[in-house]
Amino acid sequence: MKTQKFLQSLALHFCLALLVIAFSLFASAIDALAKVKVVASLPTFAAITKEIGGDKVEVESLAKGYQDPHFVDAKPSYVLKLNRADLLIYNGLDLEIGWLPPLITGSRNSKITSTNSPGNLNASTLISNILEVPTMRVDRSMGDIHPGGNPHYILDPKNGIAVANGIAERLKEIDPKNSSYYDQRLKDFVKRLNAKAKEWEEKLAPYKGTKIVPYHKSWNYFSDWAGFQEVGYVEPKPGIPPSPSYVADLIRKIQGMNVKLVIAESYYPQKVPALIAQKAGASFLVLPAQVGGGDGINTYFDLLDAIVNDVTSKLENMKQAVNSSNLAGG
Amino acid sequence: MRINRFIALFFFGMFLFPLIIQKEAWGEERDDIKKQMQELRQQMEAMQKKLEELEEKNRMLEEEAKKQKEEREVEKAITEAVPAPPREGYLQRVIQSLNPDISVIGIFTAAYFSENDPIIHAENDPENTGINLQEIEIGFQGVIDPYFRFDSFFSIGRDSFETEEAYATTLLSLPLNSQVRIGLMRAKFGRINLQHRHSQDFVTLALPAADFLGEHLNPVGIEFNFLAPLPWFMELTASVNSANGLETPTFAPDEDANNLGRLLYIFHLANFFEITEALSLSLGGSFATGSNGTEPGNRSNLYGVDLFAKYRPLKNNPYQEVWLQSEFMYLQAESEEGDLDNWGAYAQLVYRFAKRWNAGFRFDFVDTDTPVTPMEEEELEGSSLLRVMRSEEGEEEESMLGLLGKELRYAVMLTFNPTEFSRIRLQYEFDDPDFADSFHAVFLQFQYSLGAHGAHPF
Repeated sequence: MKTQKFLQSLALHFCLALLVIAFSLFASAIDALAKVKVVASLPTFAAITKEIGGDKVEVESLAKGYQDPHFVDAKPSYVLKLNRADLLIYNGLDLEIGWLPPLITGSRNSKITSTNSPGNLNASTLISNILEVPTMRVDRSMGDIHPGGNPHYILDPKNGIAVANGIAERLKEIDPKNSSYYDQRLKDFVKRLNAKAKEWEEKLAPYKGTKIVPYHKSWNYFSDWAGFQEVGYVEPKPGIPPSPSYVADLIRKIQGMNVKLVIAESYYPQKVPALIAQKAGASFLVLPAQVGGGDGINTYFDLLDAIVNDVTSKLENMKQAVNSSNLAGG
Repeated sequence: MRINRFIALFFFGMFLFPLIIQKEAWGEERDDIKKQMQELRQQMEAMQKKLEELEEKNRMLEEEAKKQKEEREVEKAITEAVPAPPREGYLQRVIQSLNPDISVIGIFTAAYFSENDPIIHAENDPENTGINLQEIEIGFQGVIDPYFRFDSFFSIGRDSFETEEAYATTLLSLPLNSQVRIGLMRAKFGRINLQHRHSQDFVTLALPAADFLGEHLNPVGIEFNFLAPLPWFMELTASVNSANGLETPTFAPDEDANNLGRLLYIFHLANFFEITEALSLSLGGSFATGSNGTEPGNRSNLYGVDLFAKYRPLKNNPYQEVWLQSEFMYLQAESEEGDLDNWGAYAQLVYRFAKRWNAGFRFDFVDTDTPVTPMEEEELEGSSLLRVMRSEEGEEEESMLGLLGKELRYAVMLTFNPTEFSRIRLQYEFDDPDFADSFHAVFLQFQYSLGAHGAHPF
């Protein structure tokens, strides 16, 4: 009686397994006709992939642009996406360490599980000027540090070119018959980006040396490119929220420094940075840090456009306000 | 430009010229002049044509040069983008060693019980009033080769040692989207059984899990996981295991060891639905069957339903979320005295109201068929499953792991996580068993994790 019941349940599971086989055969038949499936951990990489891959690739991003990339939920539905991916592109330098590794393990997809397979692209390996690479032993008393260096490199357009080039190389490796197509699109992308970069640099040029206070150490590459000087951070240490006494100290420290901007991504608390800006006579700016981080930011160009325009127009307004008040005073 | 002006002057001159001529000479000269004029005009036109051609050519050349310059710039940008080989620094050398990721997690709990001899349900729960070492967990994890990774966790007390998990996972693409795990592992039964102590939401282990699964159900086995090719995430798990050394009386090895049908079989079906970007729901069912060690041929069947729902609006309050975790378990055990039906459930709701803070409420209860009071040692020879306390070398072990009757419990907690690597948790619990006096408990738990940054399971 008992064994019968047990056998019944075994038979049931066997039938289920057969069903699964039938399904997967059907699914693989459809797969044969598909484009290159790319999954990016973050939307900016997805946007650059679209530029290079055009209509020969199908691109998805796991995280949303208005989400903190350090803290993404490892949803099982992402496992499904990775299971079907030909290429996974991720930021690396431990940015996604809290959520991506178990998804990759669960993907059951040997195209992406090995770190050195063509389908696994750690985009940080494409970057030649990683900032803040520790030269001494690090520990977590420094906050949530990244032992490989600062991971927020994508906000410098020259790194955008490096990433695009790396993506093109991988696409050519995975889909060789469309090599020339990818090459052509890469050239076109770089041409447009170079032209835009000249524009952005011209816009930023008058503000070289501007002192800013970002919330998190996520703007170093942008500041490096724009020639801004980061004189403090809203966070006392990466990942550690500011205490009232720290905020008071920071305000005191930056008060005489002529700090122009306090900047934060939309997912950080806004009250504290706004207060710091007000006390220090600076302006507070909420900036997108990823494609999709704001309305109408759908491409890499939109992203840098939005950042550069917001920053320069804010600085311009401040300058005019100072001038007019000087005139009024004089 | 200059040419044009020249042409204009010329024409002007041309017009004036005949007028002057007409005054002085009439007749044949006029014809001559006409001829000359025509010739001149033709020459002019030819010159103009040539000029236009030259200008066109020049423009083409300039454009070509510009294009080439742009292309050179693009090429340069692309070649510059290829990173130089990294410098071999001190850190690279450290990172480059092929050692596994090592982590150590310590959980210590100050406890106050209103009873003298509180009932302890799970091995790693705080035992009595005072400061308890709940668990030290040591993990070694890493990739073996292109085909496997290996994860191992050891649970260590002051003088106890337990291999909590040590298993290999396949990394290669297998047919049917399957993945195999081999070794000693927390079985995929429900949800809480997969959550290590340090990732659970409460200080104590929920009653149904403690009573039916033991501290954790972690047999040695081979497990197959299939990812169904469906639009949503559906995972089918089937495993065959040996029940040797489990911390639960639910399953035990059969003396009839050469009978495959009496091993421990565990099945799990997991579904995950992304209802909206903010709301996710996972729903699962589990079934475990195996001998229970009371008499040869007697088996336990354990059924489970698990539910996990999470609401996390990303746009407005990125660090605020609410999650609900609930499981129902039903245990049917064959024993000499007839079949026993036991069941239990728990539900916990946690609200993370700030980046580092969360608070929650849990309700858990078990209802067992035959309430029994804690037994004297000589009574342990009864064959009822519930009274089987396996002993090693005459030493009584886990004398409270049996099922004791109906029991209700309520808990509220408040947690503060200074960082991802430390935690302070305050919990109040009210326990109401019907076989003993109800009692209150207050816990203050401290948790520290060192080493590799573990990922957060969903």
